[in-house]
Parts: sequence; C-alpha cells; structure tokens
Amino acid sequence: MGAIRVDGLRKSYGAVEAVAGMNFTVERGELYGFLGPNGAGKTTTIRTLTGQIHPDAGTVRVLETDPATEPLETRQKVGILPEQGSPPSFLTPREYLEFVGEVRDLSADRVADQTAAWAERLGFESKLETLHTDLSRGQQQKVMITQAFIHEPDVVFIDEPLANLDPLVQEQVKRFLVSYAAGDNAVFVSTHNIDVAEEICSRVGIVADGQLVTERSLEGDRDDSLLDLFLERVDGAAQRDVPNLGLTDRTET
Amino acid sequence: MSGTGISTTRLLAVLFREEWRLHTQLFGGWRFALFPVVIAVLAVSATVALLETGTAQGTIVGGLHALAVGFGLYSGTAGFAGSDMLENVFGRLSLLLSSSTTLPLSRRRLLGVFLLKDALFYGVAFVLPMALASAALTGLSAATPVVVGLFWLSLCLVFAAGMATTVALIAVRTRGVPPWAIGLVIGLTVVGTWATGSLGVVQSVLVPVRGSAIAAGGLAVGTVVIATVSLTAYDPTYGRPSRTATDRFARLSGALPFENAPLVTKSLLDLARSSGGVWKPFVSASILLALVAALVGVVDSITGIAPAPGIFFGGVLGLSAFTTYNWLTQFDSLEAYLAYPVSIADVFRAKRIAFIFVGAPTVAVPYLAAVVWFEATLLDAVVGAILLAGYALYYYGLTVYIAGFDPNEFLFDAVRFATFTVGVAVALVPTLVAGFVVVPPSIELAAAFSVGGVVMGVIGVVLSSRAGPRWERRYRRE
Repeated sequence: MGAIRVDGLRKSYGAVEAVAGMNFTVERGELYGFLGPNGAGKTTTIRTLTGQIHPDAGTVRVLETDPATEPLETRQKVGILPEQGSPPSFLTPREYLEFVGEVRDLSADRVADQTAAWAERLGFESKLETLHTDLSRGQQQKVMITQAFIHEPDVVFIDEPLANLDPLVQEQVKRFLVSYAAGDNAVFVSTHNIDVAEEICSRVGIVADGQLVTERSLEGDRDDSLLDLFLERVDGAAQRDVPNLGLTDRTET
Repeated sequence: MSGTGISTTRLLAVLFREEWRLHTQLFGGWRFALFPVVIAVLAVSATVALLETGTAQGTIVGGLHALAVGFGLYSGTAGFAGSDMLENVFGRLSLLLSSSTTLPLSRRRLLGVFLLKDALFYGVAFVLPMALASAALTGLSAATPVVVGLFWLSLCLVFAAGMATTVALIAVRTRGVPPWAIGLVIGLTVVGTWATGSLGVVQSVLVPVRGSAIAAGGLAVGTVVIATVSLTAYDPTYGRPSRTATDRFARLSGALPFENAPLVTKSLLDLARSSGGVWKPFVSASILLALVAALVGVVDSITGIAPAPGIFFGGVLGLSAFTTYNWLTQFDSLEAYLAYPVSIADVFRAKRIAFIFVGAPTVAVPYLAAVVWFEATLLDAVVGAILLAGYALYYYGLTVYIAGFDPNEFLFDAVRFATFTVGVAVALVPTLVAGFVVVPPSIELAAAFSVGGVVMGVIGVVLSSRAGPRWERRYRRE
C-alpha cells in the first residue's frame, strides 16, 4: 500500500476542470517530484490530498486516511508547506512554532527541541524573537519549512520548497529532503524548478492540463534530460498555453 | 524618477479599472452594481421614516453629513495602501499601488492619484446615493435635481475633508511622530473645541449646505491645502525597524481553559501586536459612541426629547461587534489554517471566544460612560446592559454567518449588505423607537427588552455556531 494513492481524481472550479482524472501512487522512501506548468493542477492536487478541498470524483488515500472524509486525520499525520506561505502574523517564529505544536498536540519540550534544531539548521536562531511579519520572505520560508517538519510526519507535501532561500540554505534543504525521504518517509514536492527536481527527486510525475502525462524514475543512469522530457510531454498537446522557446531550441539542435 | 511615461489621466483610468475589477471579481458585477441602489434606498427610506416620526430636518441633514465625514475618515486609510503600515493595520493586500516599488513611478504621485481615484469613486458610488435623501427632505419638484446636486456637493466636501484629515495623520506618522502623540493632539483638539464652545462653528462648517458660501469655500480650500501638504510631507521611505517580542504564546495559551486555546491566543496576540493594538476596537466603539451621543444631543436640543440612555446606547453600541470582529480577522485567512489539523468550525469557535475577550471591555467602557453621562436610571442601565450583551452577540453571529472571515466585504456586496442591514434593523429599530417613546422604561418594557436581549443573544450564538460548518462546506467545495 502506497503512502499516497490517487485514483481517478477530478476537481473542477465552475467550468474549469483543474484536475481531470489523475492517477498515481507514491511509496514510502520516495522523494516524488510533481512537475508542471502554471495552471496544470498541481496546487489543486495538493490541496485535495491534504483535505483542504473536496474532490468531485475519484479516490484518494494518504497514510490510510481519506482526506475527503477525514481531513483532520490526514492533516494530523502529514506536514504541509503551502505555496502561499503564511499571512502576516504578529507572532514570533518561536511563538508560531509553539502554536503549531499545540494544534498538533506536541509536547512543549519536543517543540522547543525541534525549534532549536531547525533554527540552527536553517540559520534563523537570531530571528526567533522577531515578529514573523517583520521577517524577510526567505526567513519566513525557513519558519514555514520548520512547521511542516516539526512533528516529523511520515508524509510531507511541499509546494516550491526553495522559494526565496539563499543558495547555502537551498543546499541544506535539498540534502535534508533527500535524507528525510530515505528515512522511510514520503516527500511530495511540487515545483517548477526542473533542475532541482532532477537533482533531488527519486521519481517525478509530469502534469499538464490536470492530468498526469508521464512518470519517470530518476534513479540510475538516464540518456535524456528531465527538461527534454518535460518540454516534450508538456508542449506536446495541441492548444496548450506554454512557451515554445525550449522546443525551438531543441529542434535547432 | 517621477515617472513621466504615463499620464496622470491614464494612471487614474487604470486605477479605476482595478477598483472596479476588485469589487466585481469579489462579488459579481450585479451585486456590486446594486450596492449604490441599496444605499439610496436606505438613505431615502430612513429619511422618510425619520421625518414621519417627527425628526427635525436639520438633524437629518447633520446626521447625513456626520456619516459622510465618518466615511471620509475611514476612506482616508487608503493612504496606508501599499505600505508596511497597511499590512500592520489591515493585513495583506495586493494593489497596483504597490507597483511603485518595481516601476519608475513616484510613490507620492501614485498615492496621490490613488486617493483621488478613491475620492471620485466613493463620491459617486456611495455619497451620491446618500445625497438622494435630500429629495425626500424637500419633496419632489422641478428643482429636485439642483437640490440633490447641491446636497451631493456638500456631502462630497465633508467626505473629502474627512479623507484629507486621515491622510494628513498618516503623513505625520510617516515622519516618525509616535501614535500616542497623534492621539494626544486629536484628544486635545476635541476637548478644546468642546471647552471653548466652538462646537457650533464646527457644525456649521461641516454642514456646508446649511452654512455660508465663505465657510464652504474655506473648507474646500482647506481640504485641498491639507491634502497637498500631506502628500508633500508623506515619506514614502518610511519603515519601522524589525520588532521583537518575548515569548507570551505558551503562557497565555496555557492559561486559557479552552479546547481551542492556541487559536484564541494567536488571534489575541495578532491583534495586540498590530499597529494600534487592542485600542483599535475600543477607538472604533468610542467613535460610534461619540457620533450617537452627538446626535442624541442635537435631537434633544431641537425637540426636547431625550431617549432612555441605557436602552438606546445598549442597542446601538452592540453594533461595535462588527468592527471588533473586523479587527480580529484582519490578520488571518481561513486558507492559512487549512495547513494544520484544525477544522474551520474550530477557527470560528476560537474567534468567538476572542471576540468575547476583546468585545466585552470594548463596549463596557463606552456604555458605562454613556449611562453615567446621560444619567440613566438603574433599571434602564441594567436593561441596557442586557441588551448590549445580547445584541452584540446577535450582531456578531449575523456578521459571521453572512460574511464569514471577510466582514469588510459587506461594504461592496449589495446582497450581503442588505441582508445584514435588515438583520440589524429587526433588532435595532424597535429598540430605538421604544427607547425614545417610553422614558424612563416601565417595568413591563424593561422585562420585555431583557427577554428580547437574551433571545437575540441566543440567536447570535446559534448563528455563529452554524457559521463554521457553513463556511467549511463552502471552502472545501469551492
């Protein structure tokens, strides 16, 4: 049984079909990259998998829970790093993480230990008493990464993990994600950054127009680049609103 | 660079389009387009009702101008837009105004055009429908268009004066003047005006349609001068240094005996640490008290009729539930909570607890001031207190049920606004009428209002309890 199992998932917003029959499975130990152009349905899929919105059709299981009918149970078990970050908050990072710890029923000692460890790992120890709203976007992203992992979940959903982070921290986060998945956890990463996906993911799914158009294992030696595969699969459909610059270059070569 | 690549007219047009899109996207075109109609209906019907109940024309004219000034003061807060100050007070917004950070456009110029756009937009969408009340005051005739036009200009003038005043205060703030000093000056000005007996002069200036042309001209010139000086003084580079805070979350959350204590604590700390802090709801309630007290004074001086202060102010001050809840939701979005294992119903329950914590002292102090100042009888004061608690809960429940987490959007959605208005009127109108008619209240009336207050409070609790599941369904189904 996969950590994440999606079968025939559909979700529409009015006349717009954001997810049009999605099927895939993610196993424990995998760092799964979810790639696709803007508007492909990535965020809608994550929101459905985490019980934030109700699907129109299909079945979804995350760690044996059904996010559609048991959203709180699902969210209790997983970690979520949303794309939007957090709204302006007047809590300090330390207080915010205490808040997250309380709603996740973590002990105060555990939260304090995790806060200290993550602050050191990502380098925001000096900002622990600064109001969240006054932090830079990069610092806010570090705090949000911390909240996603503070309860050491078996499955983590991450939307653009490296947004606004400096190169040094990016390297640390990438290494951490790889090691975290290797610890028998599933890490589901939605990103536009193909280079990052190619570097850290064990498997990727490419999504376009609300459907998974291909999956590819990134383990072992490969002949083609992920970028080529992405451009071929995403730009392959007619009338799709994506830039064709990459294809032009590829044709010329 | 001052940004000479786009004309001011074109910039104004783009900002108008953004304003229109903002509202029509939020509510749908017809619901927003209907809003001025709702305002007009309310203004005209309220005027007719007040005339029918013997209210003097001067009182109604003064009341409409007081509303226009108040709305102008509120609209002037657009001066915060696009700055860190705005986020500190109102939460995050994304407007074209912020483009001065990425484009070669002077922020001062952009802000000036933005405020001009707001003045014109609200002048037409809100103030013009209000001005139609003058037709009800004078009766329909061939001169009605001229009467309405003059009344509109008069309202626009005081609306603009209110806006300019708020922008001036914001400009002063960007120069580093602390909020307490600004508050002190405002307080001293109000007290000084009252102590020197200058209220009459202020009243005549702020009701141009009834004053002299010189006073109206002076107000117009003064408004333009204040607006110009404010924009010149406005420091677009103002930014406060990073703020730090000691850890209060764990202790406060641990002290609250509620299941949703962390959610309540977050709401309370967000409010307390944002600009203006916990004083914001109190100031809002005090402004409401001042406006109503002034109107009561005017009515008393003209007609010799004074209401039962407990019942009257208890009913009216409960309306501050709307502003208090508004402040409590400025720094949140429901979507943000969906990353945690908490239900939307939990979030709403936590907001209700936070509302009671903040709202109770917020209305208690102005209410006590009103019953002492207007010398309420003990029975009247007790009944008023019951009404205040019950109606505040009712208005709160009504707001949460209709508007969810976005009470501010009432201001632009005709359907929601009309529903809310009817809901408020059902409770408030009979209360105000009885408050004026039976002075001091009889035992029977007091008992009836006490029961009524409790019933409305229960309805409010039921409404706010149902708001969570209602909005959870909406958010998850989208």
